[in-house]
Amino acid sequence: MADDAAERELERFLAERADGLMRTAVLLTGSREAGQDLLQTALERIIRHWRRLDGDPEAYLRRTLYNLAADGFRRQGRLQRKMLLLRPVTQPPADPIAEVDLRDALVRLLLRLPPRQRAVLVLRYWEQLTEAETAAVLGWPEGTVKSTAARGLRRLRELADDWPDSGPSRFRQPELKAVQA
Amino acid sequence: MNTGVEELLRDGMERFTAEVRAPAGLARAAGRLHRRRVAVRAALVSSAATVSAVAVVIAMVVVADARASRAGSQMVADLTSQVRRAVANDNMVYVGQTSANDGPSTTWAYGRQSRWVEYWPAADYRDRVVNGQRRWDFPPQYRGQAYSAEGTALVGGKLMGAYVIYPDRKYTLSRQLPTQQSACTTTGALEMGGPAVVGVKWKSFIDEMLACGAASATPRVRVNGAETTKITGKPVTVALSAGYSKVIRAKWITVRWALYVNPATFLPVRIEASGTSYGGAAGTSVSSGVTDVRWLPPTTANIAKTLVTIPAGFQRVSLGEV
Repeated sequence: MADDAAERELERFLAERADGLMRTAVLLTGSREAGQDLLQTALERIIRHWRRLDGDPEAYLRRTLYNLAADGFRRQGRLQRKMLLLRPVTQPPADPIAEVDLRDALVRLLLRLPPRQRAVLVLRYWEQLTEAETAAVLGWPEGTVKSTAARGLRRLRELADDWPDSGPSRFRQPELKAVQA
Repeated sequence: MNTGVEELLRDGMERFTAEVRAPAGLARAAGRLHRRRVAVRAALVSSAATVSAVAVVIAMVVVADARASRAGSQMVADLTSQVRRAVANDNMVYVGQTSANDGPSTTWAYGRQSRWVEYWPAADYRDRVVNGQRRWDFPPQYRGQAYSAEGTALVGGKLMGAYVIYPDRKYTLSRQLPTQQSACTTTGALEMGGPAVVGVKWKSFIDEMLACGAASATPRVRVNGAETTKITGKPVTVALSAGYSKVIRAKWITVRWALYVNPATFLPVRIEASGTSYGGAAGTSVSSGVTDVRWLPPTTANIAKTLVTIPAGFQRVSLGEV
């Protein structure tokens, strides 16, 4: 019955916080389905430890989410990893090429980074935590957070450097011609 | 372009998650997951049962869930009976032989165990370009030999995810085991488009797909002289990531699949899948494959073939290095 009480309290807590947590989980895993699985796994852990939980449940939940993600939650096989390259959509937009810009490209590259780098970048630039706060969430030394973030950002900058300075329109031009041809 | 990457990334993350909402009932689902875990642990501890370990675990889960929801004893009996019938149907070894235009592969699967072996293609793939490099320009002496094996391996008596690349003499292990995707999600449909469909409880999977409209059924379709029911999946279209679309010079891919199942058992005898990429400089191109499925009795020898074996002398590396 203690689990039922935990569930009820958790429901009240999630009524306010679930969307934000779900967004974080989706960013950490790359898809809604995997994000939901990750969040549910973290929630199951919080139910397990509810009675012993001392302090802010959200902080515990976020720590669990990030640590599960950094440990390579749902590490997948080669075929499944190929699927991460694909972004599910319900309908293609009328002009699909117009949808592709550097912001989307950066997020998709983020989703292909190793789990530890991805977790650090989401904490630093999505949650906007400092290096010290990020280190505290993940339980890592601050230096490790710094170097991991630097490696991840370097990969993203390489992509950005390859992108034409004048923005995505010039990049799209040759492909548009090819499609029209 | 070095400045502002952080801001662009933050912006991109906002856009990527803008429409994400948490589904209802997360706490209840987590509670169910928790009770299931407790029940499974209890079942594993008290394993003095007369039926197979798998049936015990699943039946205990059903009982635990039913208790939790205060369901009546009749419901428990019905559910248990359903589960047992499903276990009986799936208690065979799956052997899939896939012929695809990007190479042949073989899949062996039983319960949570699986082994998917890709072979060097017999055909010449010198024209295939990936990341600006000729990816499939194989030395002729390797053609027809195993290139990689992916699935599960027994390591120290424990089942683990495994991936071996034979020419590199490398392998990687993971605690993550292949899992069955929900039949009604895009990811589930995409997996059906791949050559190695493993760990599926076919009867419930097909029931679920038909119920949610992800597939439709056509009775009395003949395959190799035998009558089957054709289950056709709704085509799924996804946008390719920027990097990948640059490589294959296409923007979109549409995945189509069809299963031909034995109408009595719901077990597949053939799986057809194709992916059509389009919307870029490469025009429209189709990759497709047909998997012929055999079901073998679960003998020790057959079950052994559903495990990946790590050859002696191979180097263990992390997942990112393979």
